[in-house]
Amino acid sequence: MTLADTDLHSYLPILILFFAAAGFAVANIVLTFLIGPRRDGARKSVSYESGMNPVGTARKRFNVRFYLIAMVFLVFDVEVVFLYPWATTFGNLDPQSSHAGLWLFRILFFLLTTVVAYLYGYRKGVFRFD
Amino acid sequence: MTDKLALVWPEIWLFVTTCVVMVVGLSPDLRVRKLCGWISALGLVVAIGAAVPVAHAGGLFPSITPYAKGMIGVVGLMLLPLLAGTVDRDLDAAIESGKATFSALRSNRAEFYAFFLFSLTGLMLTASADDLIWLFLALELTSLPTYIMVTISTRGTRSQEAGVKYFFLGALGAAIFLYGFALIYGATGTTDLAEIAAAFRAQSEAGGLNTIGVAGLAVALIGLCFKIAAVPMHMYAADVYQGAASGVSAMLAFVPKTAGFLAIIMLCGAVGWTHGATHDSLPAPIYILLWVIAAATMFTGNLLAIRQSSVKRILAYSSVAHSGYMLVGVIAGPGSGHGTFWDNGIAAVLFYLLTYGVTNVGTFAVLASIQKPNGEEADDIADIRGLHGTRPHLAGAMLLCVLSLLGMPPLLGFFGKVGLFTSAISAGEIPLVIVLGLNSAIAAFYYLRIARAAYLEPADEHVETRAGPIPQRVFAAVLSASAVVLLLTVAQMLMERSVTASGYHAPHAGMADTPHEALDLTRADD
Repeated sequence: MTLADTDLHSYLPILILFFAAAGFAVANIVLTFLIGPRRDGARKSVSYESGMNPVGTARKRFNVRFYLIAMVFLVFDVEVVFLYPWATTFGNLDPQSSHAGLWLFRILFFLLTTVVAYLYGYRKGVFRFD
Repeated sequence: MTDKLALVWPEIWLFVTTCVVMVVGLSPDLRVRKLCGWISALGLVVAIGAAVPVAHAGGLFPSITPYAKGMIGVVGLMLLPLLAGTVDRDLDAAIESGKATFSALRSNRAEFYAFFLFSLTGLMLTASADDLIWLFLALELTSLPTYIMVTISTRGTRSQEAGVKYFFLGALGAAIFLYGFALIYGATGTTDLAEIAAAFRAQSEAGGLNTIGVAGLAVALIGLCFKIAAVPMHMYAADVYQGAASGVSAMLAFVPKTAGFLAIIMLCGAVGWTHGATHDSLPAPIYILLWVIAAATMFTGNLLAIRQSSVKRILAYSSVAHSGYMLVGVIAGPGSGHGTFWDNGIAAVLFYLLTYGVTNVGTFAVLASIQKPNGEEADDIADIRGLHGTRPHLAGAMLLCVLSLLGMPPLLGFFGKVGLFTSAISAGEIPLVIVLGLNSAIAAFYYLRIARAAYLEPADEHVETRAGPIPQRVFAAVLSASAVVLLLTVAQMLMERSVTASGYHAPHAGMADTPHEALDLTRADD
């Protein structure tokens, strides 16, 4: 089955859905514009109506450490994402198979690379909070 | 699966080296940190050693990997001394004079060398790709580190601008060729390159190629134009090459270009050179597309290079033009397949990549070896005026390298260019050969202008240039210039290797039904 011999008519519902979604969005904006009440004013146009007053500039410096911690977290996250499919497949592997050792070696190699990522983070001083 | 693992041992060794460099480069001891370059070199030597004996088990170009990975390793080794001292120079100097202490967050050495090796790993993976997904991931692994290398290569804002520009256009290019890959998958129902080739073959025997497949190939090729800096995706080249440090520019001129050409060769191989109406060539839409891109790239690169006053920008546009030259070889195709070097366009491209990579290091290394009083690297053509009087060995290296880039006999670049000419002639591409010849003549203008500035013009009084404090870069320049001459002694062997590497395993239509019997050579020992 390739794209060339796909029946394009079967995509008609998606096209209808697309137009329905676009129509809904446009209709809401147009209707609000037509029938919505308009009471503008200084109070009404602040950033958070009935909320706190925004004070100061939005360009505030924040600690670069957040970014480093997010990266270290990402390493951990990706590691777990790869561990799941490996774990489900490894259980089904025939213990007598010659592949078992190779499969174990592969995931150990992969885990070793994440250890390197942590070692790098440690040397870079990500875990030093001072 | 195991055979694929055997194929990627060079990449695994490079990756292991990367891991070591990443940690060693953050050592508080300066002497340990300075080992980064040596460890990278060792890793590259091991990778070359692991690459050369292993040939691909299957795929469209079964023997491309030893040559391609050997070439990548050798040029990588030449780039290493050129990259020395690119990052952390201020920090190291401040530490040595006792003004500062080592701060891991301010140091970029570990990342710089690690990204360099990552990029070469991706490039080697591109050479062994046999699948569209693998190809895409390898291309991205090649490119992503280079964006960061451009940005951190100098401390100025110019390289940051260059890095951002390069990144966004690179992302656009990647999106375009990924879209092309998706269309190819849609048209053939597989991501395996050999199976795609078989599916295309079956379609063409059944009455014509699938339109969506051809459109996908065209889109993918246009996206790959970014990697090789060809028209219409060449705009970034001059700004990025100028903004980055010379070492990184030299790397950009070789690494993404080689990745792009390997991918283009594989994609063209998937559709095959057997579709022409009058003579064997690529299918008409792809043929016309590549023809126009090749001609436009050659003219754009050369004509824009003439107007530049910055040597780096001249070299950037000449790099654009060289992509156009090599596309001629891609259009010519592998010829009869069992011919000599002289009628094999793919072998010519592979050989040209080697000569261009080796030569190009020298031109940028000369620039990197000269430092202006304000600490920046030489860039303007005024900076190299009268170089012969002050530093004759650098001037000599520059002369040899630009003459080789120009294709002056009997230097290495000449043999690369002759291969392109003869293969295009034997494929019957006479108009393209004329364009190629015309452009080689235009190129002479700006290459000789560089040589004239270095040899014949007196140094400007107000431009005071002094030798950079990094002897490794001078070594890289001299090494590259000697390679331009010394590799001539083994040119015959290199050409034979490139012919072997271009061995094209033409698909046959029956393969689509039983692809695994045809490809999986290690099945017996399971």
